[in-house]
Amino acid sequence: MHSNTMDANTSSDIQKSDIFANGFWHNNAIFAQLLGMCPLLGVTTSAENGFWMGAATLLVLIGSNLVVSLIRGVIPANVRIPAYITIIAAFVSIVEMVMNAWMHDMYLILGLFIPLIVVNCAILGRAEAFASKNTPMNSLVDALAMGLGFTFALVLLGGVRELLGQGELFGFEIFGADYPDVLMFILPPGAFIALGFILAGVNIINAHIQKRKENKLKKSMLKEEDVLQKTNAIATESQP
Amino acid sequence: MKLNRQQWQMIIALLLVAVISTVLLGVANILTRAPIAQAERQALMSALMQVLPEHQNDPVSDTRKITLPGHTQATHFYFSRNQKNDITGIAWQVTAPDGYNGSIHILMAVRPNGSIHAIRITRHKETPGLGDGITKNQPWLDSFADQSLDEQSLGEQSSDKQAASNKQWAVKKDGGDFDQFTGATITPRAVVKAVKKGLEMFTKLKSALLKNNKSEAFEGKHAQ
Repeated sequence: MHSNTMDANTSSDIQKSDIFANGFWHNNAIFAQLLGMCPLLGVTTSAENGFWMGAATLLVLIGSNLVVSLIRGVIPANVRIPAYITIIAAFVSIVEMVMNAWMHDMYLILGLFIPLIVVNCAILGRAEAFASKNTPMNSLVDALAMGLGFTFALVLLGGVRELLGQGELFGFEIFGADYPDVLMFILPPGAFIALGFILAGVNIINAHIQKRKENKLKKSMLKEEDVLQKTNAIATESQP
Repeated sequence: MKLNRQQWQMIIALLLVAVISTVLLGVANILTRAPIAQAERQALMSALMQVLPEHQNDPVSDTRKITLPGHTQATHFYFSRNQKNDITGIAWQVTAPDGYNGSIHILMAVRPNGSIHAIRITRHKETPGLGDGITKNQPWLDSFADQSLDEQSLGEQSSDKQAASNKQWAVKKDGGDFDQFTGATITPRAVVKAVKKGLEMFTKLKSALLKNNKSEAFEGKHAQ
């Protein structure tokens, strides 16, 4: 039983749920890897901006992960990075054109940050670290998880900044008209401060999860010892 | 120089990736070209609707391009006309290069007599909560309405309106008549300056711009 689960982690057929949990939380582009800081700090003046930036990144990530995974056996190792960048850039340009056509207002707000998705190292990182070594299906799950995790982080930071800076959330008045807008949170320093507090919160949650896991492990080990002792006892009893 | 098998593989792989990407981009470009043009037109249309007086024509297509001295790009002038096809307003974009944080783009609409009908900020990067009052402070934007340069079109206005049109084109801090905002002087100052410049430019180009007027009465007055 024990050796079986160990094998599952190292072998090629990783559980999809594990990939998802890993991409969304344990290895979150923002919270764990601290990648993609430029769009994170640049566009998150409101939750809505964060959401659409995240959605654009998610689409690019899905496209690039899928294609990189599909051609993973064909591209020679020496030229894989330029090939990946070309693929990512193509998807970014397509997303940019689509946003320009059907979401013109948001396109104008996000502006330069959309083409800059090309250099978001979280995306190249996934192509290199995951998609180039895994099946298209797993890469798709990974892209979905990573993209959603990134979007979650952007919406969270954007929401906090919008709430504290303007008393609104997704454009809806939350704190009422009397709320004295804390402008600093809309300005760049506010992004850093809010991000710091969010990261601290994430660390607290992770510490909690870790503790629980250890407790569980201890308990199960105790149980196993218990069982072992009992079986030993039975064995010794039944021996003579 | 002879390339070995491995090098050929690299070249072909990269070439294929580039070619396929290019084809995909071309297809996306073809598919989105019309919607993008439509979206841009829509954005321009809604902006023009907010600054131009009531009109019966389509100002987006009723346009003239003029390259102003000192500019490299042509300025688009958009005309609004009433039922008799008289020009009721002319809108164009001016840029205030000296905003607090980069350029401020302003769409301004002027009546044929040289008084402002409305202005609207189309693009800016001013500080949220301070300088960006130029987009949110409607009374301030409205304070531009009916203003004109001193020597402009006095004959066409009644005397009490004349007094109003003698506003000093500066913010109050500089001895002018336009409000600045708490904590933000540079932004309104830049906007006032740019709008004033726009009016000065209009004064110079007025006869050329209005010559196009299809109304007989106006043509009679201005025909050479």
